[in-house]
Amino acid sequence: MLKSIDRKVSIVLFVFAIIYLIASYRLPAFSYSIVDADALPKGLGVLLAILSVLLFFQSPHEKPAFKLKKEEVAILLSVFGLILGYILLFEFLGFLLTTIIFLIVTSRILGYTNWKSIISVSLGFTVVLYFSFNYLLQIYLPQEYCHSRKEGLAWKH
Amino acid sequence: METLNNMLYGFQVVLTFQNILFVFIGVLAGTLIGMLPGLGPISAIAIMIPLSYGMDPASALILMAGVYYGAVFGGSTSSILLNAPGISGTVATSFDGYPLAKQGKAGKALAIAAICSFAGGTISVVALMLVAPIMADFAVSFGPTEYFALMLLGLTAIASLSEGSTTKALISATFGLIIATIGIDQQTGTQRFTFGNPNLLEGIDFLIIALGLFALAEVCSLILTRKKKMFEGDQSVGSLKITRSEAKEISGPIARHSVLGFILGVLPGAGATIASFMSYLSEKKISKDPSSFGKGNIKGLAAPETSNNAATSGAFVPLLTLGIPGSGTTAVLLGALLVVGVQPGPLMLTDHPDVFWGVIASMYLGNVFLLILNLPLIPFIAKILYIPKALLISLVIVFCMIGVYGVSFSTFDLYLLLGFGVLGYLMRMFSFPAAPLILAFILGGMMEQSFRQALTISNGNYGVFSESPVTVSLLVISLFSLTFPILKGKLSKKGNLNNNNDLSA
Repeated sequence: MLKSIDRKVSIVLFVFAIIYLIASYRLPAFSYSIVDADALPKGLGVLLAILSVLLFFQSPHEKPAFKLKKEEVAILLSVFGLILGYILLFEFLGFLLTTIIFLIVTSRILGYTNWKSIISVSLGFTVVLYFSFNYLLQIYLPQEYCHSRKEGLAWKH
Repeated sequence: METLNNMLYGFQVVLTFQNILFVFIGVLAGTLIGMLPGLGPISAIAIMIPLSYGMDPASALILMAGVYYGAVFGGSTSSILLNAPGISGTVATSFDGYPLAKQGKAGKALAIAAICSFAGGTISVVALMLVAPIMADFAVSFGPTEYFALMLLGLTAIASLSEGSTTKALISATFGLIIATIGIDQQTGTQRFTFGNPNLLEGIDFLIIALGLFALAEVCSLILTRKKKMFEGDQSVGSLKITRSEAKEISGPIARHSVLGFILGVLPGAGATIASFMSYLSEKKISKDPSSFGKGNIKGLAAPETSNNAATSGAFVPLLTLGIPGSGTTAVLLGALLVVGVQPGPLMLTDHPDVFWGVIASMYLGNVFLLILNLPLIPFIAKILYIPKALLISLVIVFCMIGVYGVSFSTFDLYLLLGFGVLGYLMRMFSFPAAPLILAFILGGMMEQSFRQALTISNGNYGVFSESPVTVSLLVISLFSLTFPILKGKLSKKGNLNNNNDLSA
């Protein structure tokens, strides 16, 4: 009964719709409005529930889902981990350093072997991006943590 | 005469050094990103949005529009050379474009594609210029009920016209509306689904969703196909020359399909992809020699190429005059406009004529730039297909991250971006279309507002939705559009054999 992927997805969606509905019913009421803030969420919750039931009963003939190889899953997960690490270190190590490391490691993991071009592209791209954001667009990307803290202290004195 | 004056004014806006530069950057970036298989126009626009921060609205839209039609223009190159369409709007281009390339006539195919794109783009800009003011005049009288019905029609149309299951597309749209409810309610100030997190008070930025669902999710697919080389060996594209008889042959399709493409582009939900397929199929149907289609018939190349570019200009009609996007791509364009502080709509003609006429004038210029980029320079530009995918993937990831960080300066949004990237990839795996989600997300806030405005004006009486004939007919059409897939299913069962042949050709 739960063989098809669509059916599994539809059950997840149905559960989500119920949770969303419960949360909508808990929204505080505002006494002076004709249509309150909870009207639309309630409607959407019901709509999603109905659609997920429809999907459940609509999904008999379906091609078998595309199967991923184990190594490919490993690569996807490691890129996910790298992005996570990039975000974690981004404000701490600063844009320049984190981005250069990220570009080198990711390109390497994805199987690009030419060290010369990896390093030159990573360095060149990062520096160009940094200067165009900081100076052309005036969007300041984070600098190294220690560095910016020193500057912050100097500013306070 | 008035149109002419307005057009001259538009050119006055465009022909400054800065704006000419932006048109050029936009179409160049669009061509390059559109050419890369996997990255579509939504990703292209979303990646370029950070560049528009702090620009004045006219320049920002000129840049973004350039990216959009540039991507549709450039997408044909990889369709022809690699049989790997850069964007879905150029899938039909590969049917006859790739066979031509295999016969060693890649240069000819690229030249025909560029000329047809240019002609389709330019003819439909003329149509845009003529139709848009009329539409705006008409839309000035629209109240909240008309707007609500119009947006509902946009959503049901995109759901029923998208590929695969309509139920799935509707679920995507509902999900987009649900995400739009996060944050402080605009009318009552109630906090909805923020879980006490201050980062969610203003809702989720559309850029996070656009970059996550499209660019990052496309990166995932690129990762899985990274071992396939994009461009094999040192093929040269060959001669770009077109003979006089060939030029004569493609003039018919150009005339027909720039009109058809424009009309389909104006309609909600359709857009470049559907326009290109419809044009290909109809050109095949009226052809004296339909069996040559799919084997390198230049008419089969000219029809979809004219049509998809005509449709992109057509899509600007509802966006600029009603403020309501009809597709995922124009939804992202609308988001970009809202960031720089312009609300498109019928009043834009009077409030921001510089944006309105500026962008239309910029399209003439952009199409000329594109013709130059895609005709004499194409052998050089096609070199971007040599970039190793591994490098490209990591560069795109960094672009997405910096783009989001540049709006909010918060790492919370970066985690959200990653989350939407995963969601986008899962949606692809389970074949849920992502375009209805982004369209619903952008329309969500406006739809709720007009719905509640209408009911507040009528003091809670739902009868207000049946008072205006425009509203009623729009509601009926949107209901009818949902039955379209059922009809389509029945028709395709009858003509199953024919249709299968057509689409796989």
